[in-house]
Amino acid sequence: MKSWTRREFGRSTGAMALAGLGPRLAASESKARVVVVGGGIGGATAAKYLAVSAPTIEITLVEPKPNYTTCFFSNLYLTGLCSLESLTHGYETLAQRHGINVIHDSVAAVDPVAKTVGLKSGPKLPYDRVVVAPGITFNYDAIAGYDEAATQVIPHAWNAGPQTQLLRRQLESMEDGGVFVLVAPPNPFRCPPAPYERASLVAYYFKQHKPRSRILILDAKDSFNAQDLFLDAWERHYRGMIEWLPAQFTGGIKAIDVKERSVETASETFKAAVANVIPPQMAGQFAQQNGLVDQSGWCPIDPITFESKLQPGTHVVGDASSAGDMPKSAFVANSQAKACAFAIAAALTGSERQSPHLFNTCYTFLSPDDAVSNAVSFKPVAGTIKIVDNFGSQVQESAETRHRTAREAQSWYTAFTRDTFGYAAF
Amino acid sequence: MRKMIAISIAAGLLIIVADCSQAADRDGGAQLAAMCASCHRLDGGDGGIPTILGMSPEMLTRTMLAYRSHERPSHIMRAIALSLSDEEIATVARYLAALNRQVRP
Repeated sequence: MKSWTRREFGRSTGAMALAGLGPRLAASESKARVVVVGGGIGGATAAKYLAVSAPTIEITLVEPKPNYTTCFFSNLYLTGLCSLESLTHGYETLAQRHGINVIHDSVAAVDPVAKTVGLKSGPKLPYDRVVVAPGITFNYDAIAGYDEAATQVIPHAWNAGPQTQLLRRQLESMEDGGVFVLVAPPNPFRCPPAPYERASLVAYYFKQHKPRSRILILDAKDSFNAQDLFLDAWERHYRGMIEWLPAQFTGGIKAIDVKERSVETASETFKAAVANVIPPQMAGQFAQQNGLVDQSGWCPIDPITFESKLQPGTHVVGDASSAGDMPKSAFVANSQAKACAFAIAAALTGSERQSPHLFNTCYTFLSPDDAVSNAVSFKPVAGTIKIVDNFGSQVQESAETRHRTAREAQSWYTAFTRDTFGYAAF
Repeated sequence: MRKMIAISIAAGLLIIVADCSQAADRDGGAQLAAMCASCHRLDGGDGGIPTILGMSPEMLTRTMLAYRSHERPSHIMRAIALSLSDEEIATVARYLAALNRQVRP
């Protein structure tokens, strides 16, 4: 069985390549078909583990972009500690090694009655099950003056790629003595410790290159993830450089003035040399447009199969899902995608499904050689997902332990992206 | 003659039962090992996180139990080990040991 590679796609136009779909589908009409919409961590992992656990299922992964750049570890790129290329992964291995049809196109709509996924370029892909992993979108209505156009001047940098590059250029060209203002979003949002990791690593960068500069975090919340670990690290590594103002102090974030590069709160307006606004978030646009979202803005799912509670036959994994206690992280997306893939494989092939094991693991850098980790296990309980155990780094850990965790984090990145994008032997 | 047929049917059944349980063990092992693959490279590669290939099932089982009892410290392995039953640990240990024999360098 031959599957498409990105190189082959590059040679033909989208329409020509899609014309090739016909014979392949006709030849295998009796096979069960799964379409995966979205090639981020959740989508790529779901496609791979469907292929691994059910070789008889025909799997199509639809993703507009040729590559995926991970948001996790992009704070290291932001401050010059790794390249963007090292965080960028292609889909060739999923296609070549695992026989997944990778189609680089956008999805117009899912038709849950006809059971087809309509592509922007025209063709409709029939499916028995569809897995949707649309990630997040930003709620631009929440902060006056901050919209999509504004992101070209004041980046959110909450999707890795051009946004992260823009923020890095701004930090590099900032004069020493300037203030970097970071607006942190309300819960829930993608990767809870990441705004504070970003502040830590930007402080590290300032310490090396712009020691008179400062960081101001304007938070929509009154507390944040792993707060004690961050406050301890800021005192040890960056004394006097990072100021955190909770909502109860500022009265909350009201507006952004793009021209003035300032952030208005209920009590005071803060002028920035470089600003980074991370807006409130909700499930990706695709989920919003396809009836997968409830009033919370996220997608309610069955806690065992990740099947949508609103659209039977459609499964939602990753950041867009509303999965009880599970946070929005890459590790969670990978963990959910595996449980979902095994459940779909069992439903379509009659194979045995084990009870799902759901985890989150999180590595956070406080400085390049001071990292902390956290591990949480979850289980489905009464229609939702609850935390079972939660273990994490403590404030008093030795420098040696922290250094070892930083090395472990790098090793984890390699294993995790190999697992997701298919180039592990497994 | 009849007795021989009966014996061979019984033997056949045994083989089928053994096949089924092996298949279930393999599926279960693969699903559990998928969890390991989020952090451990399953291609023999190593780094700050050690490889789990090349260990005997007994050694893997002992190690997991040591994490569970906190005799060996690790936040992540403790959470994983606590979430697995004894039987699941034995299943994944057998699967990983068998996987090691298949992995080519």
